[in-house]
Amino acid sequence: MRVHRNLQRLGALGLSLALGWWLWQGVTISPFQGITGPAARYIHGTARDTGAANVVAAILFDYRGFDTLGEASVIYTTVCGVALLFAKRRYRRSSHGLSFIVKRGMALLVPFILLYASSIIVMGHLSPGGGFQGGAVMATVTVLFCVIYGSSFEAARVSPKVKETIESSGALLFTAIGLIGLVTGGAFLTNSAAGFPRGMMGHLVSGGTIPLLNIAVGMKVGAGLSTLFYSMVKILEDPTESSPPEV
Amino acid sequence: MNPVLAIVAPFLAAFTIPLFFVFRKKWVGTAVILFGVLSALTALFVAAGGEAVTVMGGWQPEVGIALVVDSLTTAFLILASLGFSASLSAAAETFGYGPWRFYVLFFLSWAATNGIILTGDLFNLFVFFEIFSVAAYLVVAYPPRSWQAIEAGFKYLIFGTVGALFLLIGIAYAFMATGQLNMAILARVLPRAPEATLSVVIGCLVVGLFIKSGTVPGHFWLPDAHSSAQTPVSALLSGVFVKVSLYALIRLAFLLFGSADDRVFFVLLLFGTVTLCLGHLMAFQQEDIKRLLAYSTVAQVGTIVIAIGCASSGGVTAAVYHAFNHMAAKMGLFLVSGVLAEDRASRDIAQMGGLFRHRPLFVLAFCLFAASIAGIPPLNGFMSKWFLLVAAAERGALIPAAAVVAGTVLSAAYYLRPITAFFGPAETEPPHHRPHPVTGAIVALLALLCLVLALAPYIGPLKEGLLAVGRDTVNGARYIERVLR
Amino acid sequence: MLPISYGTAIVVFCIGLYTILSKRNLFKTVIGLSLMEGGVLMLITSSGYVPGGVPALLPFAGGEPVNPLPHSFTLTAIVIGAADVALALAFIIKIHRRYGTVDIDKIRGLRG
Repeated sequence: MRVHRNLQRLGALGLSLALGWWLWQGVTISPFQGITGPAARYIHGTARDTGAANVVAAILFDYRGFDTLGEASVIYTTVCGVALLFAKRRYRRSSHGLSFIVKRGMALLVPFILLYASSIIVMGHLSPGGGFQGGAVMATVTVLFCVIYGSSFEAARVSPKVKETIESSGALLFTAIGLIGLVTGGAFLTNSAAGFPRGMMGHLVSGGTIPLLNIAVGMKVGAGLSTLFYSMVKILEDPTESSPPEV
Repeated sequence: MNPVLAIVAPFLAAFTIPLFFVFRKKWVGTAVILFGVLSALTALFVAAGGEAVTVMGGWQPEVGIALVVDSLTTAFLILASLGFSASLSAAAETFGYGPWRFYVLFFLSWAATNGIILTGDLFNLFVFFEIFSVAAYLVVAYPPRSWQAIEAGFKYLIFGTVGALFLLIGIAYAFMATGQLNMAILARVLPRAPEATLSVVIGCLVVGLFIKSGTVPGHFWLPDAHSSAQTPVSALLSGVFVKVSLYALIRLAFLLFGSADDRVFFVLLLFGTVTLCLGHLMAFQQEDIKRLLAYSTVAQVGTIVIAIGCASSGGVTAAVYHAFNHMAAKMGLFLVSGVLAEDRASRDIAQMGGLFRHRPLFVLAFCLFAASIAGIPPLNGFMSKWFLLVAAAERGALIPAAAVVAGTVLSAAYYLRPITAFFGPAETEPPHHRPHPVTGAIVALLALLCLVLALAPYIGPLKEGLLAVGRDTVNGARYIERVLR
Repeated sequence: MLPISYGTAIVVFCIGLYTILSKRNLFKTVIGLSLMEGGVLMLITSSGYVPGGVPALLPFAGGEPVNPLPHSFTLTAIVIGAADVALALAFIIKIHRRYGTVDIDKIRGLRG
């Protein structure tokens, strides 16, 4: 048995080393001669094409916005699947949370965290940030609620159905914006060519659909990650399922 | 019709079903059926619309993400919409509309499948592969009460993610070497990359697609996933999901690999032959009817990979034709064996006695599908294998051709075992007898499809269409020109 | 500098693969997946390197911007990888509930 395991490890090591060597041989490092291909177009055309100041956001939400729809759908799929895996269990009160001081302190903090999250979402086209990052920050609020008040608090305040609604609405908003582009601009997710105002670069209202799509993704990701967390938390606290295993 | 609608329609279904559940619970069933019809019709309309190229956001193909419809895409869109509709109807009968999350995942995988088939951008292909895979792991693991299903889903997840990472690293190398992502442009510039880089790009993409499609070094997940999943899901896995990865293999092989390095086709022939032999030999030893069918799927994957490895238009025609035949027959086999196994409350072949008297029509359909898969002469499986043998002979690949012939004999042998059991005597009456009107209707339609496909080489438009798929796919220059025009 | 970062990325990728192939603990398998993903992401990000580049935020202050395309891929791939890992952990929780162990050898369905 032990010899077998060691042989297996040796094989794995050999395979990994060979793979590494092969990958290393494939790396091409040519002296830098300026950016070519689509990236050059993105760098030089972003201001003219989209009006956004953040080139990465312009790529994510305009030039290659379809990828972002797909990527947001991966999260949507995962959230839906985890909720399916842990379906039909009630929330239980695990504890009464931490002390009064922590709860008050949390109450002071929450508005600022939400403000920070919203600013990351709506300024996604101006500075590093965007819907995914802001949505993730927003989801931390619900995680903090769980830590400080115990897991049943959040479920009592915000029903999972509300989160479900927000998540699906975000996804539908994204698709609807894309379809508007299809109707008025001739292609899915068309931005300024479909009549969305480009605005002044660097202003809050600029970039056409990019801020709207950021908000849609923010809704989707924020509500989705929160659902994900609570789906996992409720099973961990469910005493009925921890019966001794019979293999 | 704009090709993107074929992707958006199932997405809309997936995004609205939760809202229906929250606000109008009673409408979920209606919504699922309506969206199913809508998605299937959109995909068929896109397929019927003929060749088209559209770029998201109205950019040039280099800058945005292009969706390309050509004859290969058309064929696989039709295959996907047939398969998904059949599986959806069967699932609606088996599960009802209570597990609405299952339908959300179902529609997400449908959208992703259409996305993989339509996209002309390498990174977008990866993104859609991920939606598709994540949804696939979860529909395999449905319902979460069944432990085998959970374990099979987890195993599939580990293999699938490793495959996805190999795809991603291949795409990363292609991007590093060229700075491009559009497949048409890559087909033009990738052959100029250094030899070592090229081998890494091709190697990683092929390994990734092998794992995703269940070709030999990465086939371990396939039998577990196919046999542990629920019947409609098993049918979907064998009928459509495996084919989607093979579609990607066909597309990339002829667009990117073939122009760059001809040796890749030799590798495909080699691994296809190994997969074929292993699948047939393993199927021979199974006692569980669904595992037998699953290993038979492994063997058929090998057959299709051999057809791709022939590197000719005849080979691609055979691959697509065989994909259709296998879809029709194997979906039928899984649905029938699901019904029969439910009646016996067991999947053990030895316990399947007396089922012919119990459900004669289902058993007869099983015989038809099994004969078709095994390749008994006038049926569709024989026709596509004949196409394949001709293509392999032209290529001079005699060992793979011999393996296909030997596999036919073997598969006839192992399909005879459940069939003799069905016709054999019963010790007890089967305990269950639940009517399956919808499944029965689907099985009848699939049987009809098998017969139509058997006649396909004699029906002018169908034959012409199949040959056109091969011709257009092999001709990479035509694809490039159409996208970049 | 660049060869070192490519080399690191490849080493991380291979460590991840080795972890998946050799470890029997399901959590370590998932860690291996994360490592592999991290390696690929490092590789992609390195490919956007421009000597003396500035962040790709308009207006580009004092120099040529780095290649923004790999950055957007990395963002997309991170989200996808996070989703994969979350799902894998959810599966492990379910499996652990059933068997009370995360050792592959002791879990019937995952052997072989």
